[in-house]
Amino acid sequence: MFPGVQALDQASLYVAPGEIHGLVGENGAGKSTIIKVLAGVYARDSGTVTINGTAYDTLTPASVHAAGVRFIHQELHLVPHFTVAESVFMGQEISGVFGIDRKTMNARASAFLSETLHVDIAPNTLIRDLGIAERKLVQIARALIDNKARIVVFDEPTAPLAMAEIEQLFAAIRRLKERGIAIIYVSHYLGEITQLCDRVTVFRNGKDVAVEDNIDDASSDSIIRHMVGRALDALYPTKHHAVEAPILKLSGLTSEGQFSGIDLTVGKGEIVGLGGLIGSGREELTDTIYGLKQPTSGSIELGGRELTISTPSTAVAAGIVLVPRDRRHDGLVLDLSVGDNINLASLEEIADLWLENRRSAARRSDALSEKLDIRPRNSSAITRFLSGGNQQKVVLARWLATGSKVFILDEPTVGVDIGAKVEIYQLIEDLAAQGAGIIISSSDPAELLGLCDRVAVLMRGRMIADRPTDTLDIDSLIALTTGFEATGDAA
Amino acid sequence: MVGYLPLAIFVVLLVYLSFTAPNYFSFQSLDLILRQAIPTVVVCLGLSVVVMAGGNDVVSGGIDLSIPATAVMSAAIIADQVTNHGTPIAIAFALALIAALIVGAVNALLVVRIGMTPLLATLSVSVAVVGIVKVITSSRRINVDHPVVVWLRDGSIAGVSVGVILTTILFLIFFFVVHRTRWGMNLQAVGGSRDAAEISGIPTGRFLSQSFVVAAFAGGLASMFVLARGSGSTPGTEENLLLEMVLATFLGAAFSPRRVVTLWGAVLGAVLVTALSIGFKSIGVNVFWTGCIKGALILVVVASASLSLRASARGHAA
Repeated sequence: MFPGVQALDQASLYVAPGEIHGLVGENGAGKSTIIKVLAGVYARDSGTVTINGTAYDTLTPASVHAAGVRFIHQELHLVPHFTVAESVFMGQEISGVFGIDRKTMNARASAFLSETLHVDIAPNTLIRDLGIAERKLVQIARALIDNKARIVVFDEPTAPLAMAEIEQLFAAIRRLKERGIAIIYVSHYLGEITQLCDRVTVFRNGKDVAVEDNIDDASSDSIIRHMVGRALDALYPTKHHAVEAPILKLSGLTSEGQFSGIDLTVGKGEIVGLGGLIGSGREELTDTIYGLKQPTSGSIELGGRELTISTPSTAVAAGIVLVPRDRRHDGLVLDLSVGDNINLASLEEIADLWLENRRSAARRSDALSEKLDIRPRNSSAITRFLSGGNQQKVVLARWLATGSKVFILDEPTVGVDIGAKVEIYQLIEDLAAQGAGIIISSSDPAELLGLCDRVAVLMRGRMIADRPTDTLDIDSLIALTTGFEATGDAA
Repeated sequence: MVGYLPLAIFVVLLVYLSFTAPNYFSFQSLDLILRQAIPTVVVCLGLSVVVMAGGNDVVSGGIDLSIPATAVMSAAIIADQVTNHGTPIAIAFALALIAALIVGAVNALLVVRIGMTPLLATLSVSVAVVGIVKVITSSRRINVDHPVVVWLRDGSIAGVSVGVILTTILFLIFFFVVHRTRWGMNLQAVGGSRDAAEISGIPTGRFLSQSFVVAAFAGGLASMFVLARGSGSTPGTEENLLLEMVLATFLGAAFSPRRVVTLWGAVLGAVLVTALSIGFKSIGVNVFWTGCIKGALILVVVASASLSLRASARGHAA
C-alpha cells in the first residue's frame, strides 16, 4: 500500500485503561498508519497487538470492534435525514415483535446522551438540524451505545469545532476516562493535547521517538523538539530576490464562518508563507483570493487597484493564479499532452483567428518545458504518465506562459520526491526573482521557513501572526500553528 | 415556506378540477383514479426501495428503470401461457415471478459486482427485457379473459375494488418492512450515507443487491394489475408506466418533509399524477397538451423542493 516505503518502523504504543493518551507527529510521521493497523485496515509486517491481555494475530475491522475498540473518525459519517436515535443505533437497531422499537431506541439514546455526554438533544431531531458539535456527540454516542467500548480512538475531533464546543467535547472525553475507558487522542493541535492528555507519544519517521508522562504546559517544548528532531536541510535555494512595492493587498477580508478580518500584503518579488492547520481557514482564504469563493466583506487590491474577483477567470485575467493542492484533479487534464496542458490557459494568444496555431503553440510549450526541465522533454507525452514533481512543473509552466503577477501555490510539494522538491523550490525562487508575488500555503513548517520571506499564520479563521521568517525558528512556528502561542503579532 | 409549495400547488389544482370537472369528487371517479393508478403504485414501491438503498441522487444514486419493462414482461409471460398454452394461471404467475427475479439478479450483478452506474445498467436491462417481450408476443396484443384477471379488474369487496384493497395490503407490507424492521432501517442507512453504514458494520453491497431483487419482485407483482387494467398484454405499455413511475417517485420526495424518497410519498405521487391525467381528460384538455402541462407541473414541484432544500442547507452553514 506504500510502495517502497516503510510507513512504520518498529513503532510501539502503550495505552492504559482510564488514560487519555495523545498521539502527535508531523504529517507522514506514521500516526495515521498505526491507527489504521489497529483498525484492521492495513496489515502489519511484524510486531504484536495486544488488547486487554489478548494477543491478536490478524486484525480485521470486525475482530477489532468485537475487542471493544471504537474509532471516532474525523469525518462525521452520519445520514442527514435520520433522527438522532436512528443514527445512534445504526446497524444495531432494537427490534420488538412489531418491528423496530423506536420508543426504546429514543429513550436509550436520550439517556446515553444526557448521562454520559451531558448534552440534551431530543432523540427524534433530524441530524441535518443539528450543529456540528452536536453531530460529533451523536457520532460518539453511536460508537459507545453498546457499552462494550474499552478503547476509543479520536482522530482530530476538534477540527470543525468552535472554542466553546471544544470544551463540551473535552468534558465528554474526560467522563469516558472516568469510566476506565482507554482513549487515544490524535491531533495536530498541541495546545489541546497538553490540556487534555495524561501521556503523549510522539511519532517521527514511522517510529515512536518519545513518550512524555506528566503532561503540563511545559511539556510543549520537549514535544515539539521530538516532533522536529532534525535540522533544516539544504533543500532550499538561497534567497536572492528583492522585495519591491506591494502588488497584492488584502484588507479586512472576511468570509462568514470561514475566516475574518484578514489583512495581508504581498510585495513584488516577495514570497509569503501561509501557515495553519487544516481547517484553519487557509484553504478558504486562497480560494477566495482566486474567486472560487466570495468574501462577505473586505477588499482585495492588485497593484493598487481594488478588484472584485467573482470567478477564477476574473482572477486569471487580472493576473492572479492558483496552483491547487490536488493537481491531479483540479490542475491538470491528465489525458492531454504536456504541451496542451501548458497552453491551456493561453489559447487566445496562440490562436490564429479561431484555429489553434499548432506550430507556435509547440514552440511556446517546448521553450517552457526546457526552461523548467520537465521530463520527459517531449511536449506530446501524456501528462498522466509524468511523475508528481514533473506534473507540478507543468502546472507552473502553464501560468508562466500567461505572464501572471501573483501566484498562489497550495501545498506545492505534497506527494513529490526530494529531488523534484528542490527543483520546485528553485523554480518558486526564480519566479520571485522575476518580480512575481507569491503566496505559499503549506502545512510543512520547514518549507515555510526555508522558502518564504514572511509567514502569516491562521488559526480558526483568524490571522494570529504575520512575521518575517528570520524572527522565527521551526519550534516557534510549530508552536504558533498548533496553538501553543495563541496571541502576539510581530515578535 | 417554500417547503409546502409542492403540496399547495396540487391542492389548488385538485380544487380547481373539482369545480370544473363534472363529478370529479365523486366516489366513482375516486375509485376510477385509484384503479388506474394501481400498476404505477406497485412499481413505485419497488423503485422507492432501490432509491432508499442507493441514495437520492438520480445519476449516481439508486435508480431502476427496468421495473416497468419487467412488469410488462411478466404480464406477457402470463398472457402467453394462459391464453396460448392453457397453463393454469397460478403456474403462469409463478413463472412470471421467477423471470422477474432473474432480471433483478442481473441488475444487482451489473451494479454491485461489475460496478456499472444503476442508470445505465438498468436502462440497458430494460431495453433487453422489452426485446424479450417482443419475442414472446411477436409485438401483438394478447387478450386474457381468465376469471382471476376479470376479478382483479371488476371485482369489489364491500364496494371497494379488489385491486385497490390488494394494493393497499401490499403497501402496508412494504411500509412495515422498510420503516419498521432492522432490514429496512439498514437499507435506508446504506442509501443515506454509504460510509456511515459501512462504519456501522452494515454490509452495503448486500443491501444494494437485495434492493434490486425486491424492485424486480414488485415489477413481477405489478404484472397482474397490468393485465387487469388492459384486459391482456399490450406491447408498449411500459413506456408510459416508466415515465409515471419515475415522476411519481420523485414527486413523492418533494412532498416528504425530509425531502427524501418515501413509500407513502411515491404512492401519493402516483395517485396525484393519475388524478391530474383523468381530471384533464374530463374537462376536455387536448390530449396533446396534457403531457406538456403534467411535465411543467412536475418541474415546478420538484424545483421548489430543491430550492427549499438548498435554503435549509444554507441556513445551517451560516
